Amino acid sequence: MDDLISEFLTETAESLDVIDSELVRFENNPDDRAILDNIFRLLHTVKGTCGFLGLPRLEAVAHAGETLLGKFRDGELKVTPPMVTLVLESIDQIKVLLAALENTGVEPAGDDKTLIKRLEDAAMGVAQEPTEPEAPAEPEVPEGFDADLGRELRPGEVSLADLEAAFQNTEVEGIEPAAAEVAPEPEATSPLGVGDFDPELGREIRPGEVSTAELEAAFASAEPDPGMAPPSIITEDMSAEEALQTAVAELSGNYATAGSEGGPRVQQTVRVGVDVLEALMTTVSELVLTRNQLMQTVRGIEDDEIKGPLQRLSAVTGELQDGVMKTRMQPIGDAWRKLPRIVRDVSNEVGKKIELLMDGNETELDRQVLELIKDPLTHMVRNSADHGLEMPEDRVKAGKPEKGTIKLSAYHEGGHIIISIADDGKGLDTKRIADKAIEKGLTTSDEVARMTEQQIHRFIFAPGFSTAAKVTNLSGRGVGMDVVRTNIEQIGGVVDVSSTAGRGTHFSIKIPLTLAIVSALIIGCQDQRFAIPQLAVRELVRVGAGSEHSVETLNEARVMRLRDRLMPIVDLHEVLGVGDRLNTEETAAFVVVLDAGGRNVGLVVDNVLDTEEIVVKPLSESLRGVQAYSGATILGDGSVIMILDPNGLAGEIISTMDDEATTEAAAATVSEVQETQRLLLVRAGGEEPKAVPLSLVTRLEEFDPATIERTNDRDVVQYRGRLMPIVPMGAQVQCTEGQRQPILVFSENHTSIGLAVDEIVDVVEERVDLQMGSDRQGVIGSAIIKGRATDVVDIAWYLDQSRAGDVQRRTSQRRRRLLLVDADAFTRRMIAPLLAAAGYDVTPAGGVHEVQRIAEAEEQFDALVGDPAALDRIRSQGYWPDLPTIAVTDWPEDTQAEGLTAVLPRSDRSALIATLDEVSQEEKAA
Amino acid sequence: MSNDSSELGTEEINEYVSVRIGDQLFGAPVNAIREVFTPQSVTSVPRSPSEVAGLLNLRGRIVTAIDARTRLGLPQRSADETGMALGVERGSEIFGLIVDSVGEVLRRPRAELEPVPAHVDANWRSMVTGVHRLEKELLAVLDVSAVIGSTAGHEAA
Repeated sequence: MDDLISEFLTETAESLDVIDSELVRFENNPDDRAILDNIFRLLHTVKGTCGFLGLPRLEAVAHAGETLLGKFRDGELKVTPPMVTLVLESIDQIKVLLAALENTGVEPAGDDKTLIKRLEDAAMGVAQEPTEPEAPAEPEVPEGFDADLGRELRPGEVSLADLEAAFQNTEVEGIEPAAAEVAPEPEATSPLGVGDFDPELGREIRPGEVSTAELEAAFASAEPDPGMAPPSIITEDMSAEEALQTAVAELSGNYATAGSEGGPRVQQTVRVGVDVLEALMTTVSELVLTRNQLMQTVRGIEDDEIKGPLQRLSAVTGELQDGVMKTRMQPIGDAWRKLPRIVRDVSNEVGKKIELLMDGNETELDRQVLELIKDPLTHMVRNSADHGLEMPEDRVKAGKPEKGTIKLSAYHEGGHIIISIADDGKGLDTKRIADKAIEKGLTTSDEVARMTEQQIHRFIFAPGFSTAAKVTNLSGRGVGMDVVRTNIEQIGGVVDVSSTAGRGTHFSIKIPLTLAIVSALIIGCQDQRFAIPQLAVRELVRVGAGSEHSVETLNEARVMRLRDRLMPIVDLHEVLGVGDRLNTEETAAFVVVLDAGGRNVGLVVDNVLDTEEIVVKPLSESLRGVQAYSGATILGDGSVIMILDPNGLAGEIISTMDDEATTEAAAATVSEVQETQRLLLVRAGGEEPKAVPLSLVTRLEEFDPATIERTNDRDVVQYRGRLMPIVPMGAQVQCTEGQRQPILVFSENHTSIGLAVDEIVDVVEERVDLQMGSDRQGVIGSAIIKGRATDVVDIAWYLDQSRAGDVQRRTSQRRRRLLLVDADAFTRRMIAPLLAAAGYDVTPAGGVHEVQRIAEAEEQFDALVGDPAALDRIRSQGYWPDLPTIAVTDWPEDTQAEGLTAVLPRSDRSALIATLDEVSQEEKAA
Repeated sequence: MSNDSSELGTEEINEYVSVRIGDQLFGAPVNAIREVFTPQSVTSVPRSPSEVAGLLNLRGRIVTAIDARTRLGLPQRSADETGMALGVERGSEIFGLIVDSVGEVLRRPRAELEPVPAHVDANWRSMVTGVHRLEKELLAVLDVSAVIGSTAGHEAA
């Protein structure tokens, strides 16, 4: 019986979860018969099984819920949220009872009269108090005292009154119209109660038993639709076990039906204990290691007698590993199943309208990982529903649809699973987070001023940080996103947030598919090897002798410039105390760029050796105090190596590094501009490619070389009724007779020049990491574009060349001074010479930090040019309050022009110069 | 050993694996030892507590090697001596207690176990449960679990 009960518990728990989510679906689609039928069948089976196993209390609740559902099905009652809440309440109560059953093996004493009464009233159409949540199953005083017995109930006993009530309720069964249609007409006898004589049994029915006739009726009615699977009838000569199996089979049938209708997908399954799988996994892991060792040993031996079988062994082991891994995989939908219910409850409780979209249900991941992310996910979805989304009226005011959306999605990406939780709510309150972070001493207001919004938002992951101004029942009980982050990091995952005020918040989680075997980078440090989980590795950079990257020192702390951002550098030798820090000026070394809690940290190592799939073994208890490690592993050659923990290392870094350095690093990333540039690749005077920012080129033309004339020692062509000077790019451009000559046309202030090139190669979109250091005229510097070192052409120099004979502009005027602020170094280097060519003295500044320095030096300017965000920050700092400010941006239409003199597209040079001239004129007049 | 008191019941006999650490003879109760092995290719673990000699691979399981000399406050072995290791299982973990050499199994009557003299160093007394007087020297009975066990506590302190 015990086995039966436990099997019943498992099956029922699954059915109830399905019912939960199906009910929520049903509430949104009250006309969908298929959903309702499914719910009805599931609940009915639960009820039926309860009857068999002699669980009257459960049965009574299930029955009452079912009756109400029956009314929906027959169209006698309209589906309303309070009604659904009521049915959900009955499901909850069943869960409570099941939990008690699981703990004690018997149904708890007491009854559920209040709940049943409400369910019955609802079924009868009696008006309901609008969802006043009552404590279900209020225990009556004295609890368990049975008037019929004249004594208190012993555990496991059920009061006679309860039984009567249960069987009375069961009566409804017999007159169920749907059942009556399909099932053989039940005998007109009323169902038998306890103490009644059952002719089929040949004796009276004992408490807890159900008459066979009634059972038949129950199971017949479980299959009301003739189109469904053939009804499984449980007959009196079946043992209880057989009966249960039939019931279970029926349940599976329901699953299958649900699957075909887009509900949860269930395949043919065998139940296997988790411990069995775990043991199997461990054994297979060992097998994999042994295989690896064997392979290593025979490497280099050319013996076909060994090689053949060994290769087969290797392949079979691989297959076995894959197979075992698969047994551990579960669709993420399993972790999501409870969410629709949770979202529904939140939306009812706080009066919001919420739609939960789920995408990628079938994405599979390791069972263990799934268990560990269930709670964080639930918490985050609840947060989004409770805090993220606004009240309907606020949404309407903000011009958004009344119904808020939470979108969950999951997909695989290179051995990881990416889960995102996005809402279209109000977004994070940057100011409040900043205030709170300052209040909690996590940062200072100076630092906050230099941070990007995203950096501020990340404070929500800081320990003990909870922004909910009002503590609600649902979330904000002090356990906040820091717990979520800790949980996710524990399984080697990372979580990040991005949020736009008024548009919503987006959390993304990246976790490994499995914990048992991870892909790791094997690095060398002082004759020793260490493993770093690949998930944490962002990139590898070679530094030192002969490399373009170098490690610089900033007041003892070491930093490295990577794509124009400063990254703190830590030397593994130092962290582990194995020798001195590497002298990276002389020795070549590698920097492993690690993702440590959302920020980049560079780890200096001697060597990068290999990548290997490793089996993670837990740390010995004697080593748990060492932060730097997350575990150990045995490599293919049998040696044991330690697995480094990026987060632990970051912890070490903070303690070993000057705070100043981290601040600098944060300041350097101030606006995180990493935009891509569209570049025109050309070939001119040599094989190597040259690049010109496409935004500067007005037009691409081809001319017949014959049309190129020579006047006043210069090549010109007639172009749109004017003479356009032609300047060759590079040393000399060969004009081949009969072949058309490609020309890049640049126009500025009604004058155009043409740059002659040999060939136009390509247009690419890349992030330009400009390596400075060109003394050559006409070249700004070099960058790696499409994997090749490419010269970036200095257009301004050519413009000057072409104007050599022109009347010098503005010679009589004082040269005007401009401050050019743009976080993107490439933009600065492109625009500055152009403006200089137009007669301005340009001081470039990369970030607020530099601006601050310039301002403190009390330098004076005539105008400020830069990206809108930077200008905004300068103004908020109160520097140069009266100067004209001209914003250049790629998205002028999205930019708030308020407080700015002009907003211009970045690509429109002539407009910029015209505007500057205009501004200067005004100034002059003033 | 020849001077086994075979007339005594087995109940009263203690069996020890005799090991030498430094100049001292120790006895590790046989039932506390899983196996004896030669520690090979021990991976040292930077920043670990000093008594952790490193990790090693024992038939696919990772064993934490604890240096008995360090625990007992004795000078380090010279680099060319690898020593021997006593495998001790605790919970789901295996520890390897590294000693200088392992000798035969000694059987001594329980009654002959004498308490550790009071003036012995407190650190030793926490790891030695008693002393047997052999013909030529003293056999200090090791509390293997204490030798290994205190590492975790040691680290936390």
